[in-house]
Amino acid sequence: MSSQFKQLEKLGNGTYATVYKGLNKTTGVYVALKEVKLDSEEGTPSTAIREISLMKELKHENIVRLYDVIHTENKLTLVFEYMDNDLKKYMDSLTVGNNPQGLELHLVKYFQWQLLEGLAFCHENKILHRDLKPQNLLINKRGQLKLGDFGLARAFGIPVNTFSSEVVTLWYRAPDVLMGSRTYTTSIDIWSCGCILAEMITGKPLFPGTNDEEQLKLIFEMMGMPTEANWPGVSQLPKYATSSASFQQQYPQQQQSKDLKVLLQANCKEKLDDVVINLLHGLLQLNPDMRLSAKQALHHTWFSEYYQRQT
Amino acid sequence: MSIPTSEGPSHIEDDGAPIDIPTVILPINFLKCSRSDLIVLISRMLVFLIQINDNNAKTDEDKNGPTEAKLTRFHSSTPPNISIYNYLIRLTKYSALESAVLLSSVYYIDLLSSIYPAFTLNSLTAHRYLLTATSVASKGLCDSFCTNAHYAKVGGVQCSELNILEEEFLRKVNYRVIPRDNNISLCEFEYQQNEFSITNPNVLPKDLQFSITQKNSGYNILDMYYRKMIQLIGSFSSSPDKSRKVDYKLEEIELNASNIPDDVSHNPVRDRTNRPPNKRSYDNSTENSNDKFLDESDQNNKTSLFNHNKKLATEEIKMQINERIK
Repeated sequence: MSSQFKQLEKLGNGTYATVYKGLNKTTGVYVALKEVKLDSEEGTPSTAIREISLMKELKHENIVRLYDVIHTENKLTLVFEYMDNDLKKYMDSLTVGNNPQGLELHLVKYFQWQLLEGLAFCHENKILHRDLKPQNLLINKRGQLKLGDFGLARAFGIPVNTFSSEVVTLWYRAPDVLMGSRTYTTSIDIWSCGCILAEMITGKPLFPGTNDEEQLKLIFEMMGMPTEANWPGVSQLPKYATSSASFQQQYPQQQQSKDLKVLLQANCKEKLDDVVINLLHGLLQLNPDMRLSAKQALHHTWFSEYYQRQT
Repeated sequence: MSIPTSEGPSHIEDDGAPIDIPTVILPINFLKCSRSDLIVLISRMLVFLIQINDNNAKTDEDKNGPTEAKLTRFHSSTPPNISIYNYLIRLTKYSALESAVLLSSVYYIDLLSSIYPAFTLNSLTAHRYLLTATSVASKGLCDSFCTNAHYAKVGGVQCSELNILEEEFLRKVNYRVIPRDNNISLCEFEYQQNEFSITNPNVLPKDLQFSITQKNSGYNILDMYYRKMIQLIGSFSSSPDKSRKVDYKLEEIELNASNIPDDVSHNPVRDRTNRPPNKRSYDNSTENSNDKFLDESDQNNKTSLFNHNKKLATEEIKMQINERIK
């Protein structure tokens, strides 16, 4: 480790690395030091190569900045902008007894706006994040929110044949990906944004499945069963037949979506208006082609106070 | 300047273009090009470069006497006993290399050479270079990839050596392994400024400033390398690598004003599945000619590829071919 940084307390264990708080001794600025062990069989982990190669291009106020990479004997240290907390820990800290609490709606709106701003920038730069979830959204005391952890991200401008369907943490994974689609694009991240928005409102994950099958079941219960009519081509997806058959066996009556507003309102102290529910529906369209883009979502009426101020 | 001569069997030495050479029309989209054809193209390209560089080194030595060889980690002590063509086939087969990975390995020659002058692709460096480039590209660009232990075994080096080569490569190119517009220029700037990442965009020329402060969605590079290679060494007679007796031509682009993609480079998978093959068109203003298309894509990439002091691989070969024609 170069002597430029003083290593402070451990901040957490990532998927392939350990993160410490660090102090830049020359500037007095705090940083996050992500230490990646170099395995002798694997070499430099693919996640590190992606994270570094993609993040060094992404300079945006809603994306965590990667300042530097330091090589030492058997490890690689990624020096990131320091953030106080992540959205998951922050929401957990609000739990009263066993009852998770949602965030105040004005904060939900501010966070969601920043999330979409950061994501729109990724998508403009032809980068898919593919692992959006509260743990990967970093926040600070000033209320800023930034996208972090690009270990699963990829540049989608480069045509390659293999698109893995093993992406995105289960709860935030889009139905098309769950049914085995490998032709996803930016809409995969938008679905996660919808799940995160609902979770910020209620404090609870929207679709907390324990396996692929249950995850789809929870989604279909809430949003209805997709059909060729509302999603042309859905029946061609590898796992459509099995998932729809088992769902219809269990819920022969249910074709329609539940009322998302009623469900969320039960876990939200403030009164929800139709505007935010409309945005949620735009993000949580079963058919990936029908989902809003990040840019479109930023122009949704719910955010009018932000874009009106901007222009 | 001496022209590299064929290393292939003598009965096809004759440049008089024998009639029995079959012509294969290659698709405009490199993803649709079979990997076996792609390997022939890349092998021809690399063998050409290797001959040029070996020759230049020899000429230098003849002129200036024995010079101190610039050894890099990519050097072998003697040329490995397997042709570039066979080595590429081996890597592709056993490490399941994708087309984008194969093409990136050509692009990375220019990337690495631009900031690491000691490196040239020659008969001593080509194999280690190829192994490193293809494994880095697979890990950086694809969702399915192997461990270095596997790549090393296929490539015939110790895993610990590949680990060192990989680290060397990544450090040198400053992790700029995503082939996109301006990547080489940005890499050079970082190198000059000795920075991991440009923090002050004002040090950059205007067009490059734009690409780091605004969006950078340019992904024409691999397409451009693919088409350039067909143009330069598509014909059997122009290539010093005689591994496969075939002439390659780029398919004619069907022109149809109503069918112009908003962005030639963008290529989400959905695009590929919905669009019928051979129906993509790029320019409604020109009559035909792949040349026009090539020129056009050159222009798009001008900042990254042709503002160089150093000649790029494709440029170098073009020059040699022009020389030969004279």
